[in-house]
Amino acid sequence: MLIKRSDGRAAKQRLASAYQGLSSGGMDRRGFLKQAGVGAAGLAAMSTLAPRMAQASGAATGVINHQIPVQRIKNICTHCSVGCTVTAEVQNGVWVGQEPTWESPINRGTHCAKGASVRELVHGDRRIKFPMKLVGGQWQRITWDVAMAEIAEKLMQVRQASGPDSVFWLGSAKFSNEGAYLYRKLAAMWGTNNVDHQARICHSTTVAGVANTWGYGAMTNSYNDIRNSKTMIIMGGNPAEAHPVSLQHILVGKEQNRAHLIVVDPRYTRTAAHATEYVRLRPGTDIPLVWGMLHHIFANNWEDREFIRQRVYGMEEIRAEVAKWTPAEVERVTGVPEAQVKGMAQKFATEKPATLIWCMGITQKTVGTANVRALSILLLATGNVGVEGTGANIFRGHCNVQGATDFGLDVTTLPGYYGLDENAWRHWSRVWDVSYESMVARFDNPAIMATPGIPTTRYFDAVTLPKSEVQQRDNLKAMMVFGHGANTVTRMPEAVKGLEALELLVVADPHPTTFAVLANRREGTYLLPIATQFECDGSRTSSNRSIQWGARVVAPIFESRTDYKVMHDLTAALDRAATRRSMTVRFHEAMWKKIEIRNGEPVAESVLREINLGSLSTGYSGVSPERLKLHMEHQDKFDLVTLRATPDAPDSIKGDFYGLPWPCWGTPEMRHPGTHILYNTNLHVKEGGGTFRARFGVERNGQTLLAEGSYSKGSEIQDGYPEFTVAVLRRLGWFDELTAAEKAQIERQGGAASWATDLSAGIIRVAMEHGCVPYGNAKARAVAWNLPDPVPVHREPIYTARPDLIAQYPTLPDRRGFRLPHLGVSVQNRSAGLVRDFPIILTSGRLVEYEGGGEETRSNKWLAELQQDMFVEINPRDAAARNIRDGAWVWVRGPENNSRARVKALVTERVGQGVAFMPFHFAGWFQGVDQRSKYPAGTDPIVLGESVNAVTGYGYDPVTFMQEAKVGLCQIAAA
Amino acid sequence: MKCTDRMSRMFRFLLLALALGLAAPAFAQQGTPRGVVSAEEMEAATIRQGGIIDGRTTIPDPQSGNLIQPVGKSWRDFHNQTLAWVGGVAVLGMLAILVAFYMTRGRIRIEAGASNRTITRFNLLERANHWMVAGSFIVLALSGLNLTFGRHILLPVIGPEAFTAISLWGKIAHNYLSFPFTLGLVVMLLLWVKDNIPNARDLEWIKQGGGLIGHGHPRAGRFNAGQKGVFWLTILGGGLVAASGYVLIFPFFGTDIGEVQLAHIIHSLLSVLMIAAMMAHIYIGSVGMEGAFDAMGSGEVDLNWAKEHHSLWVEQELAKGQGSVPGSAKVAGAD
Amino acid sequence: MARMKFLCDADRCIECNACVTACKNEHEVPWGINRRRVVTINDGKPGERSISMACMHCTDAPCAAVCPVSCFYTTADAVVLHDKDLCIGCGYCFYACPFGAPQYPRVGNFGGRGKMDKCTYCAGGPQQDNTLVEYTQYGSNRLAEGKLPLCAEMCSTKALLAGDGDMIATIYRERVAKRGYGSGAWGWRTAYREGVGA
Repeated sequence: MLIKRSDGRAAKQRLASAYQGLSSGGMDRRGFLKQAGVGAAGLAAMSTLAPRMAQASGAATGVINHQIPVQRIKNICTHCSVGCTVTAEVQNGVWVGQEPTWESPINRGTHCAKGASVRELVHGDRRIKFPMKLVGGQWQRITWDVAMAEIAEKLMQVRQASGPDSVFWLGSAKFSNEGAYLYRKLAAMWGTNNVDHQARICHSTTVAGVANTWGYGAMTNSYNDIRNSKTMIIMGGNPAEAHPVSLQHILVGKEQNRAHLIVVDPRYTRTAAHATEYVRLRPGTDIPLVWGMLHHIFANNWEDREFIRQRVYGMEEIRAEVAKWTPAEVERVTGVPEAQVKGMAQKFATEKPATLIWCMGITQKTVGTANVRALSILLLATGNVGVEGTGANIFRGHCNVQGATDFGLDVTTLPGYYGLDENAWRHWSRVWDVSYESMVARFDNPAIMATPGIPTTRYFDAVTLPKSEVQQRDNLKAMMVFGHGANTVTRMPEAVKGLEALELLVVADPHPTTFAVLANRREGTYLLPIATQFECDGSRTSSNRSIQWGARVVAPIFESRTDYKVMHDLTAALDRAATRRSMTVRFHEAMWKKIEIRNGEPVAESVLREINLGSLSTGYSGVSPERLKLHMEHQDKFDLVTLRATPDAPDSIKGDFYGLPWPCWGTPEMRHPGTHILYNTNLHVKEGGGTFRARFGVERNGQTLLAEGSYSKGSEIQDGYPEFTVAVLRRLGWFDELTAAEKAQIERQGGAASWATDLSAGIIRVAMEHGCVPYGNAKARAVAWNLPDPVPVHREPIYTARPDLIAQYPTLPDRRGFRLPHLGVSVQNRSAGLVRDFPIILTSGRLVEYEGGGEETRSNKWLAELQQDMFVEINPRDAAARNIRDGAWVWVRGPENNSRARVKALVTERVGQGVAFMPFHFAGWFQGVDQRSKYPAGTDPIVLGESVNAVTGYGYDPVTFMQEAKVGLCQIAAA
Repeated sequence: MKCTDRMSRMFRFLLLALALGLAAPAFAQQGTPRGVVSAEEMEAATIRQGGIIDGRTTIPDPQSGNLIQPVGKSWRDFHNQTLAWVGGVAVLGMLAILVAFYMTRGRIRIEAGASNRTITRFNLLERANHWMVAGSFIVLALSGLNLTFGRHILLPVIGPEAFTAISLWGKIAHNYLSFPFTLGLVVMLLLWVKDNIPNARDLEWIKQGGGLIGHGHPRAGRFNAGQKGVFWLTILGGGLVAASGYVLIFPFFGTDIGEVQLAHIIHSLLSVLMIAAMMAHIYIGSVGMEGAFDAMGSGEVDLNWAKEHHSLWVEQELAKGQGSVPGSAKVAGAD
Repeated sequence: MARMKFLCDADRCIECNACVTACKNEHEVPWGINRRRVVTINDGKPGERSISMACMHCTDAPCAAVCPVSCFYTTADAVVLHDKDLCIGCGYCFYACPFGAPQYPRVGNFGGRGKMDKCTYCAGGPQQDNTLVEYTQYGSNRLAEGKLPLCAEMCSTKALLAGDGDMIATIYRERVAKRGYGSGAWGWRTAYREGVGA
């Protein structure tokens, strides 16, 4: 809302005339200089005698030569998931300036602290500059060729001795879609499902929760669409710091609609400061609060009965559970008074459209999936799904965590959520043009091929547990880490042990990351310099499912290489190592069979085309690189609120939603516009409409699981229907609408394809011709019978400050999952004894200046200056009781491993009494010891500090092994 | 990470108000109703009552937490008005007084005429120290005055570049010469404090106007009441000026903006007063009085001069020396 | 003639510090020099507000009034600039400035202050427009290119407004009218001796 560049010309003229000395206002430069000339010329020479002092600006990389043209290149910010467009000004291959991108409908020129400083990332002199390895505990420079050969040799040695499952492939939410896809494919080619990434520790429970409710594990609406909301509840999220640009949409929505903005958080955050109402709850009591709201909603008949009747399965069972949560019990457990709960409930149910926004305050819990399910049920009960201004607006964390999740950097699925069963493997084998049998041969055995792998939250347990406890051939022996920090995973003291026991640790990243320094490794550790996404072409998927193409701004700096090239070179090196060891397995040919390689580097566009071919299930099939580039080129032609191309848009994008938010059905040629709002029955499927997905069968316990009387606009089937397969098409008599070519493709696939496996996309096309959604039209599931808690129930945090509630609300019993043991009650039962010594609830979260493990942002001098010390927020009363001053050093102690962290106290009323907060971006100090000297010279981040996860403890969600990072126990004492 | 200490702020503001001679209303605790914030009201209250609107920043510079400090305006008024007037009046006023004095009284002669016999008044250490202090003081004074008056007087004459060069050297000299100046003060205190303890005779000396008015010579010891005044002005005033100056040289080392402003006010006001006083000292030690300069020049003063101005001291010295002192003889102990 | 001003809508500001790093990025401002900063008052309590603050380019600028070497000047757009070749780093402008805008590099001995640095409203300095020498001394000159200060252009929630004072005041008043609340324009009373009139 400032005077835009269009006024620039006028401004220039104004200034020009001022410089001509015509101004009557202040003194202009010429006038000023003229005044300066009053002095005698001889005396003026004295100024040369004046002692020189340092000038404001140092050696500048930001100098633009205005004599030669500036190249403007658009890429996407590499930090959070909002997807802000970054416009880079490049001269002579140097990124010299960053300009606002007014035309982006997502950020409209704006950025947060991180986005406004990304230029530094490609100048960063603290990047890894060349490959290195540890020799006797010292970092030694090596060449790329040596690095690749040695790493490949070691990997093949581990494979030979322990099997492919002994290598853990940790990928990244910072990959482009193409990088993420290739990494998953690489793990598949290697023959393991031990491949994971950051989604495990941010929104894995969201994906599991919402996908199990209505079909897809993603944000239903968009940041922009929040402008339509009349009631917004932000629960367990602090977007003002984690997703600052989203606040632009939230605050404008709040202002224009005079909307309610209710923030539920144990901490009075920067977001809460802008709320119309702030609700402080005891950490870990989200389900009681939601059930408390539903209690009032059902009691007052505020629920949306028609919506529930048509589109929701199992709400009666929810009513039964909710009935237990009387206002008194809700207050006893959550600490939130009845009036406040009732007020929230009334607003949310009656002042519609209402949306729920959540982040890791909901997901990073032992009850993460259940939390998400409870919130989804609240949306269903009030009919706040599938309409503008409503929905589950799940703000994801990293710039491409949505895309990386979509492409299966996940221990439970192949790209596109196909799962791990034989059908899934056969589908992707077809896409990759390799035989299913050849894929089976890459695995230890066919059973393990269909078994979920070991998640990133537990990799170290899989290294250190007795072999018999790990349900695969051997423990983990080697770890490939691409773009991931070690300090964002809980139980770091255990991680140290795990990392020290690994035979091989490869860290491929622009920065060394905590992995490089945390453990006392002396050998078998490699650092590979990887280019950032600004030095790389590729697409990335924002939280709202919009896919944006980022063009390479500059060539990889120093000796950095792109993810694509490193993977390409690695498969070749693996083949050579296999040859040397006389092993029969080969990787390179199968991996790159259908991908164009140019100058030794896989071409991003060609990778995306392979994705298009295979990712039918999520509707990535229509998202061609050409379409994405057109969208980037014509960003200004999309509406700010609807994200739809405006009437004056060129034909090539007409009707499209910005970034073709998935599902974008069928082939690119079908020109599906993308789906701005999921499950929106008010639009034709060809216009981005949808229904709840028929994913869980058609009937259960005699009740239909298909929608009743609800269907998307223009549907020829005016009721629920199952997902489309060849068989369904035949029954409907639509089979012959398939073209000959489509039929031939289906025939080649064995004749029994479904909409998601038909590589011709003919089934999808025919379904859409009839106004039907390819995945069917079902009810959302209030009861998800396949989960440990089909109806979400409250379970006290595993380390609870209220041991009196354990008996009534115990956590789950000890069990197994993901090839590992999973402790529950046996850990929780220790709480009662611990709370005396560790009386403060410890929670964690983000700072706006840093992101994730923080290695990259703490190395950025423009950001690092703003947060120079790790700290713990402590309530003034708790601080006074412990004689702790604001800014003083304190020890924070955790309940496991005698863990402790030396940090600064930030005494503030942001946290309530008995609660402490620590940001999770810091690393480089561990248990009070500064590890700066362990970084390779010149790569240490500017700011180091203790990691919160040095003091966090055990606790995992049963569905995804999400870590418990939000509710722990600690004690704080002056240092 | 900054605590707001309203009491100390109140104290500072009162000091500031006093320094400015303003009749300011006592600073009251700002009453902001919880939840409702108005920039207009907070600013108006802060302008009216002094103080600072401050908060938290993440930058480790504590000054960065100050959002608005309208007190800067008071400091500006002090600097541009009060100080300019006080300084101008003090310096020019003293100049006028001295000129007038010279015109009416002329140079004070040794009444008995020069005896051609001398007595050692100040030894080398004393003189060297005096000149170290004096030399520093002159440069400090000139460079200091330049900061207040230079832009009006010197800048138009020599032009900005040259003026900046001079001012920059002046600033550096000002900073560095503060150390010899301070050292000299300490030495001076040690050397001369015992002869500068006020006593009953000083009252007499003052009653007689030090002999400046009229032609009598009130009896005096090594230092007369006037000199004692200069001594204590130098020690106490100079000490305060030095102390406040160090606060300014090391800005914000344990001080905040209000304290630094106060330090500047103390520093500059005392400085101009000292400059005025020192002008009188310089006058009387040079053109104003025959024979006076020798005391700090060669250290040897004419015996007649000494008898007229420091009769008691001469008697003591002569008693010590058991008779007449040869012109070149040193006094043992240099006392 | 435009009268350039800054206006921070504290009901929008979320302390994201984009303004701070945008400034650093645009002008390559070194560590320790903060031309712009965000201050949060009533931190952690109801009534918490964050305000982005830099040089407000005051009417009758106090810095210019107290500068012993008269190194300040005001452009035709009412931007208060200074000449680093004339500045002697005395610190007086910091004492007088109501907003803590002047910054000094630590150079030399015992807290010796280098030449003052402050927000230029992205208007460079007295050197030739958009030259290397101007850039290294003052940073880039966006105004000369017909652009506005990058801090405001990149503000995540469009809380920080920059431009002609009347225009941004109008924008702000319209906002307040629409949403029904507004804590006012921070610093305006002090800098411009007028409120925003909302």
